[in-house]
Amino acid sequence: MIRPLAWVALIVGGYFLPPLLGGATLIYNTLVVIAIFAVMAYGQDIVLSDLGEVSLAHTAFFATGAYAAGILAVEYGWGAWATLAASCAAALVLAVILGLITLRAREFAFSLVTYAANVVCYTICYNWNALGGSDGFVGVPPLDLSVPGLRLTALSNKDLWPYAYGLLVLTLYFVSRFRRSKLGHAALMVHMNAPLATMSGLDPGKVRLLVFMVSAPLTALGGWLYAYQRAYVGPDLFETYFLVLMLTAVVLIGRRVLSGPLIGISVLMVQKSYLSFGAYFDKIVLGVVLVLVLCVFPGGVSGVLAAGWRRVRA
Amino acid sequence: MNVWQQLANGVIMGHAYALIAIGWTLLLGAARLVNFGHGQMYMLGAFMAWWATKATGMPYYAAIPVAVIAGAVLGAVMQRAMLRLTLQQNLVSLMIVTLGFGQIIEGTAGLAFGVKPRMIASPLNETNLHWGPVLLTAQDVAVVVVTIAMFILLRFVMNRGLAGSWVRMVAEDPRLTQLAGVNVAQVYLGIFAFEGAAVALAATLVAPRTPIITSMGFDEVIMTFVVVVLGGVGSVAGSYVAGLALGVFSAFFGALVAPAYTTAAAFLVMIPIMVLRPGGLASGGGPSR
Repeated sequence: MIRPLAWVALIVGGYFLPPLLGGATLIYNTLVVIAIFAVMAYGQDIVLSDLGEVSLAHTAFFATGAYAAGILAVEYGWGAWATLAASCAAALVLAVILGLITLRAREFAFSLVTYAANVVCYTICYNWNALGGSDGFVGVPPLDLSVPGLRLTALSNKDLWPYAYGLLVLTLYFVSRFRRSKLGHAALMVHMNAPLATMSGLDPGKVRLLVFMVSAPLTALGGWLYAYQRAYVGPDLFETYFLVLMLTAVVLIGRRVLSGPLIGISVLMVQKSYLSFGAYFDKIVLGVVLVLVLCVFPGGVSGVLAAGWRRVRA
Repeated sequence: MNVWQQLANGVIMGHAYALIAIGWTLLLGAARLVNFGHGQMYMLGAFMAWWATKATGMPYYAAIPVAVIAGAVLGAVMQRAMLRLTLQQNLVSLMIVTLGFGQIIEGTAGLAFGVKPRMIASPLNETNLHWGPVLLTAQDVAVVVVTIAMFILLRFVMNRGLAGSWVRMVAEDPRLTQLAGVNVAQVYLGIFAFEGAAVALAATLVAPRTPIITSMGFDEVIMTFVVVVLGGVGSVAGSYVAGLALGVFSAFFGALVAPAYTTAAAFLVMIPIMVLRPGGLASGGGPSR
């Protein structure tokens, strides 16, 4: 009884975080972007932590979600619910294609093919005018999730906060359910010991494909909301920055920690909003954090804390 | 279309691809490592050469060793930081770490060299050569000659030298190599220093042909992915042939179809190969964990 209540309290408390922190515009901007990027990072988290592979195509999934929303909203006047479905569907199609291509590829072969896919998507978006070319699509309308009898629109980041936060909470719930699901267990087994998984009657290829298909729409959802948040989609969405951001967020706290990517993104975004000395400096910070964590503290912050706790108790 | 000119462009481009990829070929073959910081190391090599000629006024030929030594040191430092992960063969973490190094190099170069495009002043670039219907510069010829020399040298060292046999032993089984009395950590350090030096050398020769900017890293070496994969893991001769084929393919695809889609086309060629023989790529040469 205590646990669910604590969760509810935490979720409700989280919602009132921006006013508690003073409610300035920068607070709202930072927190909305944290929620969006955290959702993006959870897609990568599932692949990296549970499947043990590095997907470089997740920037493409992120961009796919954003492009689907941007194009359909700007060019065809679709509503936000329709673009939501389209974003997930587009990412899913891409994930199926890529998943089938990489069915037997492991480790660097997997990473190289996913990277190649990312480059192909980027080149197509950058050069094809139907997809906005190098200019992208400017003027994505504000988010409007109104249903009959209920007006749900978001003109500013302050208005956007409930939706971004809601999406984040749903994502967290989804990921925790995934880890306790049959597929989540299967993924871990394939990651830890593929021959044993096969002997237990699992098909590693199928498990990998399914996990990939679960993770892609998640990252695309982040992209979907990002399109509305910054009112613009363009080829910059494919930048390595987003890839490094999600990877750093996952490894910083430690793999397979539910709150890990959220805390990781929060730390990185707070640095970017409040302690930034320019884009180059931010790049160095991101790189140093990534190298330091993996080379010196491979377990991430949670690993360091666990080791410290063991020492205290011993 | 001037077919001979396109063919010459393709051959030159192909040698450039092969030269940029040579360090990575060894890295992938011996250590099964993918270095996603390769592009930024290339960029840094080019900017070291530019800085050396600009700041100290030294001639282009003297700037080449400066950049190469800096590249070797950078490679060794990176490997020293990653040593524990390398010895554990933690390939997933290593890939992410190299991405991190790429970010550090790019950010640092941005702070140090600014955002403006630069031009490496090479006297070879000023010399035009006419050969029938084909026009090229001495710089182009230098790229081709040095690439061929480097590949012959690498092949010779790998097949004949003691260092080459160590590298092949490490590729086969690092733990057993350690037991045989070879300092595996030193071998990895050497491989990375070579990778850094080779990509810097490639940068000093290839980069003077176009303006350089600090954000060019990834784009400039995208093709090396394809070269390394098409050539087969760690195959020295294979990556030379793959580089050459890719260069000619790019030149004609660019001239006949659309230059903007050349990279995408090259990757689309690569993907079916990865699908058809992933086992040969992922498990070839290295230990099966």
